Amino acid sequence: MLNRSENRGLWLLLGLLAALCLSLFLIPAFIIRPFRYQSEGALRLAIAVKRIAPALTVAATVGVLAVGWRLWRGSSRVLRAGIVIALVLSAASAVMVRQNYFEWMFHPITAAGFVSAGDARLSDKEMVMAVRIGQEMRAYPIVQMAYHHILNDTVAGVPIAVTY
Amino acid sequence: MRGRELHFYLAGINNQNFLMRDRETGSWWQQVTGRAIAGELAGSTLELMPNDELTFGLWKSETPHGQGLVLAPVAGHGDKDYDKKWEEEVAKYPVPLTFPGQGLKDRDVILGVEIGGQARAFPLAKVRGANPVEDKIAGVPVALVTGPDGESVRIFRSQLNGLDIELYRDAQSDGKSDGQSKGQSPEWRLLDAQGNTWNFAGCATSGPAAGQCLEKINFLKDYWFDWKNYNPRTTVYSH
Repeated sequence: MLNRSENRGLWLLLGLLAALCLSLFLIPAFIIRPFRYQSEGALRLAIAVKRIAPALTVAATVGVLAVGWRLWRGSSRVLRAGIVIALVLSAASAVMVRQNYFEWMFHPITAAGFVSAGDARLSDKEMVMAVRIGQEMRAYPIVQMAYHHILNDTVAGVPIAVTY
Repeated sequence: MRGRELHFYLAGINNQNFLMRDRETGSWWQQVTGRAIAGELAGSTLELMPNDELTFGLWKSETPHGQGLVLAPVAGHGDKDYDKKWEEEVAKYPVPLTFPGQGLKDRDVILGVEIGGQARAFPLAKVRGANPVEDKIAGVPVALVTGPDGESVRIFRSQLNGLDIELYRDAQSDGKSDGQSKGQSPEWRLLDAQGNTWNFAGCATSGPAAGQCLEKINFLKDYWFDWKNYNPRTTVYSH
């Protein structure tokens, strides 16, 4: 049996670990909101957090699991629900920091297909991004690039990233 | 980058300019500058490839038959995603930054040119209005030329063998192209005082310089607020 103050310390630890996990996901998500201003400092913080988040959220979730395990037996139903919530939030954060939700909004091009100029179903007025390297020419319709944003391509042996 | 091939993916947004990461090192790159801002490759800059923004019609007319390839719609994506009105919709989005005081609205489309450390923004409306727009940036004479389709723009260094040249539209070809609203008019050409005629690729088609081409200058078509954010000391063309 745990004594009272030890118990309180463990509950505090449980809460802190869960809060840590959640903030590792939420801080960068909050800073990098689409229509908001990002200062240089805030952006640096967001990127720094994103870089440590995958490892740290797993470690913290394991911590929540271990602490929750110890607290489980002596806890009432309500407190056990609290343990489960802490665990779910931590695990969900650990999953979310591994997701690239920007690619949920704008699907990446995994396999680009090309057609000849004659076969393209594109009106003459549509704008294209045109690249010519050596004798090879490519046209990337802007309506498509404005949606996918990035295409990794190779033209005349040169690897290029087309961005819009 | 340093002999290593990188593959990029979308990873975030910075003041409405996206951030990308490369699968190889996980470094973070700013789209507009091509510069890595965090990670193993921080500080490096990708080489900008010469590129054009043209109407498809003009691109076809400049592409020898059967040589060019066009990116096809990606399976599973159609008109719903490839929204032809996206430009109008983006124009309504709020801006994260505002730069009043230089006579431009935040979402005015500009053509940004940087030569010798000097940046200048040319409002697209002005470039399309006059033809061609001539200016000097850091002592380099440039001509901003709107093509025969009335949409596509290219910028050339208006210098031939070290001497400045002045390009102007052939009034005759103007008159003839009026009747043709689409596609390339075969008569479209630029003239200079030396007796050369120039096509939209920037190459002399007749005259003493026949066969020579002007140096093409890369530029960025951008919203004013975004250009100003990355080029705080930019001037604005206003003639």
